[in-house]
Amino acid sequence: MKMKKVRKGITIFFLVILLAVILIPLYWAVVLSFDRAATTTLPPFSLTPKEFSLFNYEYAFKTIPLVRLYINTIIVTVTNTFISVFTAMMCGYAFAKGKFALKKVWFLFMLAVMMIPFESRMVPLFIQYRNWGLLDTWAPLIFGSFAYVYGTFFAKQNIETIPDSLRESAFLDGAGEWTIFLRIIIPLSKPLIATLSILQVLSNWNNYLWPLVTIKSTEKQLISVGVAMFNAQQDNIYYGPRMAVAVISAIPLTIMFLILQKNIVQSIAVSGIKQ
Amino acid sequence: MKTKKITKERLKTELVWYSFIILSLVTLLVLTYLPMLTSVKYSFYDVSVLGYGETFSGFKNYSLILQNPAFHRSVGNTVVLALMSLLSIPMGFVLASLINGLGKGKTQSFFRVGYYLPNIVTGVSVILVFQVVLKSNEGLLNNVLSTFTTQPVSIGWLSDSNFAKFGATIISVWGNLGYAMLINLANLQSIPSEIYEAAEVDGATPIKAWIHITIPQMVPCFSFLLITNIIGGLARFTDLFILGGNTSAGRPGGTLQTILMFIYQFSFETPQYGIASAGAMILFAITLAITMVNLKLTGFFKKDER
Repeated sequence: MKMKKVRKGITIFFLVILLAVILIPLYWAVVLSFDRAATTTLPPFSLTPKEFSLFNYEYAFKTIPLVRLYINTIIVTVTNTFISVFTAMMCGYAFAKGKFALKKVWFLFMLAVMMIPFESRMVPLFIQYRNWGLLDTWAPLIFGSFAYVYGTFFAKQNIETIPDSLRESAFLDGAGEWTIFLRIIIPLSKPLIATLSILQVLSNWNNYLWPLVTIKSTEKQLISVGVAMFNAQQDNIYYGPRMAVAVISAIPLTIMFLILQKNIVQSIAVSGIKQ
Repeated sequence: MKTKKITKERLKTELVWYSFIILSLVTLLVLTYLPMLTSVKYSFYDVSVLGYGETFSGFKNYSLILQNPAFHRSVGNTVVLALMSLLSIPMGFVLASLINGLGKGKTQSFFRVGYYLPNIVTGVSVILVFQVVLKSNEGLLNNVLSTFTTQPVSIGWLSDSNFAKFGATIISVWGNLGYAMLINLANLQSIPSEIYEAAEVDGATPIKAWIHITIPQMVPCFSFLLITNIIGGLARFTDLFILGGNTSAGRPGGTLQTILMFIYQFSFETPQYGIASAGAMILFAITLAITMVNLKLTGFFKKDER
């Protein structure tokens, strides 16, 4: 018994040390972002800033339209998450409970998309949007979310477990499929909707390649691309301002994670374990 | 008269169900299948100047790209980087085993959340942070190494072409470790405890149980992580693109140019859509082959028939 306790103590000690090592880069970035001394030379590691100041943040906000980038990213992320999760629920419901012609064919039509990586169709897609005159708008960033294939697959599996008796009794009361979907299926699927939304927010927030390619004006750009551009402009120096920008762009997801940690960890684990 | 009414009813229900899926089907048709087919077409056409006529050129793009040393290098870089990044799987497994050994409770969820945090922050900001951590002069890692070896260390983890792949791997393993840990942990906790109880009765030590029970039970989980890691590694782009100063050159010295960066270069920097499409097709073929092997191994096709 004592042996077991000692072993547990050693494990916890080791895990704490390793966790500290892993998180130190993030901590140091926060320290540097508040350090007036971190501009053209990199100060050695310290637990607190040498010269505490907000200069780096002021500089960052002055140099790039951070607020604009922020608002853009939030609008695009929220829009995409809403559209993609709602359409995934619609498709998931139809494929789980519906009886209609070619159902199996359309389901395969959707699943097959999982094997086409986005990158292999990026160039023609770019040209398509250019021909439609929609480059440098948010259309290319948003239109794709009307089909969320992984979400559809996931929603179908979950909606299948909802008993048919609920649908049947609503049906006898004269409800149509849309009423059933909105009044019964959606309210019963809250955990599923939460999981899909979390996965969508995470993937949207870090989206980089596609906005980089399709959006040229800075005032329409998203935070990930804006931050990388700022970084490249600083010519590998101005450490403090670069860290300030890094901190600012990482804050929303970090806060969301710390508030919803249990749900997020659960969502990620479930999405991996189902395979 | 009656049959007509029935068909009308039938048509109505069909239409109702189709109203649920039509939006997604059209989206996939226009934004996935159509561009994919165009991509296939372009790979067989000479489309150096778009809009001024495209001429069929057979396998010319493919032979050009397959003879291009830069393409060979980018394939090699991608494969080596993808394999090096696999380190996160065994590390994540050991970590998950240790965390699992603590038993369910507050300590366990603390570590679970703490180790997962880097995975959430991953994105552009992490690259900025690691540019500073892995700097050759006064970078955090070199400073630590100097302290331990008591002599000045100034390895250019991201600027020296001999070390850049290690630097890039540090970044990817740092970002993926939490994910590998989480998936391993979830799978560890789904192993039935009766197996361990039986082993304990037979007098197996925890280490022996770990080797003879846990590891074999975890093989499906390892193969899932292996496949998803490799597929993700094949499409690696963002972090290395930003490290190269927002160019696809794969700095330093092209050692970090991946297949996707090669495709990007021929799509948007020096546009030759035919070459870019041929590259995209090759990337697609490799990804498809690996996905198929994965689906076969995990019995996906069988499940669908049921």
